[in-house]
Amino acid sequence: MSRDFWSDSRVVILGGGSFGTVLANLAAKNCSEVTLQVRAEDQARAMNSTRMNPNYVKDLVLDPKIRAVSSYEKAFEREADLVIFALPSHAAREQAKIVAPFLRGSELVIHATKGLEEHSLKRISQVLAEELPVIRIGAISGPNLAGEIARGEPAATVVASRFDDVLEAGRRIFSTPSFRVYTTHDLIGVEWGGTLKNIFAIASGMLESKGLGWNAKSLLLSRGLAEMVRFGVAMGADPRTFLGLSGMGDLIATCSSSQSRNFRVGYHLAKGETLSDVLSELGQVAEGVRTARIIHEFARSRNVEMPITEVVYRIIDGAWSVDEGLQHLMTRPAVEDEWS
Amino acid sequence: MKIDPRTGSNPAVRFEHHPAVRGEIYRLGGKPYRESVIEEVIGRTMSDFAGADPRMLLEETIYQERIRTRKVRAGWITSPYLAQRNHRDRKFLAEVGSRMKSCIGLEDHRALLERVSDHFATEICGNFEPAMYDFAIRMVPWMFSWLLNAASVQRFLPFGMSESLQSRLRVVGEVEHLQKLAKKGTILLVPTHLSNIDSLLVGYSIHLMSLPPFAYGAGLNLFSNPLLSFSMSRLGAYTVDRQKSSSLYKGALKNYSTSILKRGIHSIFFPAGGRVRSGAIESHLKLGLLGTALQAQLERYRENHPNPNLYVVPMVMNYPFVFEAASLIEDYLAASGKHRFTPNDGGEAVPFLNTMKFFWKIFSTRSEMWVRIGKPLDVFGNFVDENGISLGPNDTTIDPRRFFMTKGEIRAVPQRDREYTSMLGQRVSERYHAENVVLSSHLVAYSLFSALRKQYPALDLFRFLTLSRAQRAIPGERFYEEAEACFRMVKAAADQGRLFLSTPLHCGDVKIWVEDGVRQLGLFHDAKVVKIEDGAFSTEDMSLLYYYRNRLTGYGFGCDFAGETDEQGFLV
Repeated sequence: MSRDFWSDSRVVILGGGSFGTVLANLAAKNCSEVTLQVRAEDQARAMNSTRMNPNYVKDLVLDPKIRAVSSYEKAFEREADLVIFALPSHAAREQAKIVAPFLRGSELVIHATKGLEEHSLKRISQVLAEELPVIRIGAISGPNLAGEIARGEPAATVVASRFDDVLEAGRRIFSTPSFRVYTTHDLIGVEWGGTLKNIFAIASGMLESKGLGWNAKSLLLSRGLAEMVRFGVAMGADPRTFLGLSGMGDLIATCSSSQSRNFRVGYHLAKGETLSDVLSELGQVAEGVRTARIIHEFARSRNVEMPITEVVYRIIDGAWSVDEGLQHLMTRPAVEDEWS
Repeated sequence: MKIDPRTGSNPAVRFEHHPAVRGEIYRLGGKPYRESVIEEVIGRTMSDFAGADPRMLLEETIYQERIRTRKVRAGWITSPYLAQRNHRDRKFLAEVGSRMKSCIGLEDHRALLERVSDHFATEICGNFEPAMYDFAIRMVPWMFSWLLNAASVQRFLPFGMSESLQSRLRVVGEVEHLQKLAKKGTILLVPTHLSNIDSLLVGYSIHLMSLPPFAYGAGLNLFSNPLLSFSMSRLGAYTVDRQKSSSLYKGALKNYSTSILKRGIHSIFFPAGGRVRSGAIESHLKLGLLGTALQAQLERYRENHPNPNLYVVPMVMNYPFVFEAASLIEDYLAASGKHRFTPNDGGEAVPFLNTMKFFWKIFSTRSEMWVRIGKPLDVFGNFVDENGISLGPNDTTIDPRRFFMTKGEIRAVPQRDREYTSMLGQRVSERYHAENVVLSSHLVAYSLFSALRKQYPALDLFRFLTLSRAQRAIPGERFYEEAEACFRMVKAAADQGRLFLSTPLHCGDVKIWVEDGVRQLGLFHDAKVVKIEDGAFSTEDMSLLYYYRNRLTGYGFGCDFAGETDEQGFLV
């Protein structure tokens, strides 16, 4: 691609987790400077000297254009053109509050968080819009397992925003010969897709644990997608978005990968372990656990039918066993095979 | 320019009077200046449509105009003024039609298109005559005070005690803030729109606040009164003909607004595009004119004006009764398909007597009109401080120029600017709700409606509105119970800054505010909106009750019908 504004741009990535690191490497191919903001000073120092992230995606060699820093002052020493939030959902608001004074309004912001703010049910882009002096905000979401992207395997993602400015930035900064970027204006649909799929990943782990076959899994994916669409439409999303990478695509990847945390929660729960045991063993957050409860409650109050979500919630809650849940779902009254 | 602290809370805010400040609008009085505005509008319109086929555009315009003039012939003319205008329009249309036939090539069509743009621009453009303005600002208060004191006689005021209009017209809110900003930049005042008298009150409130005159987009029906028409067209009002729907006309109208805002002329327009039919606070604004604020702001930044900032100031008006309420709610119900009969009135003229009757009722019954100046915003919907600096979240300050920067430069990006405009529209509507002043009459209507609704929860709106007289009564005890519950809800919302309460509601004594509300509610109408008979509360007109009650929808207070619940976009 010929040189343009973005080839000379500066990108700041907040969050040195696996996806943040992978995005930094992609961005470095397309801009002049990438600053990766990580939590600890020694992690930053190690990354700058060994050119590797000591904690995540260890086989990935960092591009020479990447500079790791641990302070916001350093990250925003010079004006950024694009800021990426690659942080877990529970940190979104708190981090945004800290970052706010460093931004000036002309920056574009894209977040890579799949989740929501629990108590308010707000999408991450809404949280960022409330906390940052920035208007042009978008999200990046899709079936993007960090390890595979790091190895250069073919993959694709969706960048969503109401603003073409953000879509163009996403396209220019993240596209590489092995990574395709699709774009959409339906930010609502893309964000809800990334949030809701975690519920079905838990269910998928349960099916796997029960040794069930492809019929059952396909049933889960199709009817799970129908629930995602119903909920998404109630929230103002375009139903077609859920057929894309951020909906169906991400659902398949998350529900099929035994590496997914949510999948593992479901897997162990179905083995009869208690939720607290599973979670402490996992040592990490599984977003789907909390999402299932919140979504179930909200869907019920709004009369959106989400039977699988309800069953996942009841099993997590300890009210039902997996077999009871399955039986409940299979004996529901027959309905038409449609989405809404 | 400060508010007298002694009268800060009661009976009304009084302002120190200053000689009218000469604003940029005075230049509109000069013919060369006006011509340069028209020229600019034509230039903008031609460049807007530079990519379009001029012939197709002409054909579309002629087609739309033909439909419109035909409709007018079918009975829309309610005054000699409208008849004269219609005659002029038809003559012009005939001329364009015949010139169309002799057009040979692209250039001919383009020239004719320019001629049509010129026609529209000239028709829209307002004039300003300082002498007329000086006359009006002396005349109007005099008329008001004459009317007020004549009406007050009915209440036997003690000798020597006379009332001033200001005690009935309560202009509250960010008045000083607005006064300061008017000196630092260009103001775009965006009032809510309930009634045709809004225009009068907005104009008068501007004068009360010692602000320079504003340019104002006035609907044709206001021009139908010869007196109003004569004065308004000389006071910077520009003409908005809502019946003209061709894209060329709409383009010219937007370009006129952009041009005067860009030149720093303070402006007013009603962003809902007309009076709100349902009686609710506007939740869907027309974005066309609002977008001109953004465009003008962008251009002022690009051209490095010394005082480049544009401030959008919401303004919410509330009256205990609206004289067109019956026809408005009828329109609304007919349009939303919830009612069976078709209303028979169209764009009604302002009957001068009705206007007088309105003020007579206000003055003779101790009713109050509330005008609340909302917190000023920049064109992106951020609050601005007293110095005109935009405030962001988390104590940040913002240079709005930055939002216009794409790829490192301030530039126009149509897709981006459309999104900004729609966000601004949403923001203004949000502010309208927050700046709304709840009157006791609103709350009485809301309480009665809510109590009735609870008795017939299963009925749809249409069935509900056609309840029989006997079914519409609520025992006093039950009514007061509901009224107290509604009050608690509204009070909680006020404490959270989601709305304001008018003075009678400050006391919180249910008997007092209910009495006050019942007395004032819908005084103008022949039917009693809320009636107390043998201790029971009822209504003689369900549609009117619905209309007045609607002022409190959009807050998620419940008791809403399907399709009404998401006005604040909670789900989006």
